[in-house]
Amino acid sequence: MSADERGNGDGNAVEAGESNRSLYVESPIIMATVRVVAPFVFTFGLFIMFHGADSAGGGFQGGVIVSTVILMLAVAFGVESTRDWITPERLVALVGVGVSAVLLLGIGTVALGGGFLEYDVVPIYHFTKYGIELFEIGIGVIVSGIVVGLFFGLAAGASGEGGADREPDDREGLL
Amino acid sequence: MIDAVPAVLLVLVVACALATAVLRDVLAAIIAFAAYSLGIAMIWVLLQAPDVGLTEAAVGAGVTTILFLLTIAKTVRPPGEAIFESLDPKGLVVAVLIVGVLASTLGALPPVGSAETPVAQSQVTDYYLENTYEQTHVKNAVTAVLAAYRGFDTMGEAVVVFAAGVGLLVVLGREVFA
Repeated sequence: MSADERGNGDGNAVEAGESNRSLYVESPIIMATVRVVAPFVFTFGLFIMFHGADSAGGGFQGGVIVSTVILMLAVAFGVESTRDWITPERLVALVGVGVSAVLLLGIGTVALGGGFLEYDVVPIYHFTKYGIELFEIGIGVIVSGIVVGLFFGLAAGASGEGGADREPDDREGLL
Repeated sequence: MIDAVPAVLLVLVVACALATAVLRDVLAAIIAFAAYSLGIAMIWVLLQAPDVGLTEAAVGAGVTTILFLLTIAKTVRPPGEAIFESLDPKGLVVAVLIVGVLASTLGALPPVGSAETPVAQSQVTDYYLENTYEQTHVKNAVTAVLAAYRGFDTMGEAVVVFAAGVGLLVVLGREVFA
């Protein structure tokens, strides 16, 4: 991938303005690899997120790994189609849900008569552990949403539809 | 005496850091930076900090590299065939000074793994290690500290990440990441 991008990057430096080539390389090798690898990476990210209570990991690390799945899909299949699939509206809503979950968990225990994040007051067996895991999932959702959002934001700038002062570019962006 | 594996990793990390600084091609510098992050992540694991290592590998070597790649698509390669950037003497002096000042504090650090370190002797550490499982039912004390004992801090961090994303959208004058 890097060799192709490098070639294209150099090409753009030289023939900027007259080249209509997209920087997205539709490579069957990358697509096939991502198709095979993505489910495993996604599962690994979820594992890190859920299993942070008992081994290394947690919401932050798991959320970043889950978001890399989306980044991989965008590298393989193009940012535009990935963005059509995960609409940015849904992304923002997802991050809002994550923040609400974390806040609700913290304030909910106060509402039930305990301290902030005092999981014991919830009358469910072993809730401390489940509460911590819920908290981690909330963090993971926030982190993955923001990382994918940053990626989409940067990609939008690269494809020339970004700032108003930027004249429409001939190239389609890196991906 | 340093073991072979950490020594090799440290040499790799320093070499990658220098390569990142002096390589002229931005793409090459980004690749060197990703290798640097990966080396640091492995060092974290050797230093018994797998949580930090995971974060470094996922964020430093993974996501940051992709964001950088997206960014350099907007730049052009500087002309010329030189592989290395010509060094700016003033910048070099400043860099060497900073490294020197930071290195002068190394002597004050306790040896790695020493039982005499303030962290290992702290009562707070003992408290967490003794009570984490009874009080929170999780085996990873790091997670227990992050999500239970210091949960308020973590919630603040989550809100900071959220606010950063929202702030970015406000600055860009958009309602969605697109």
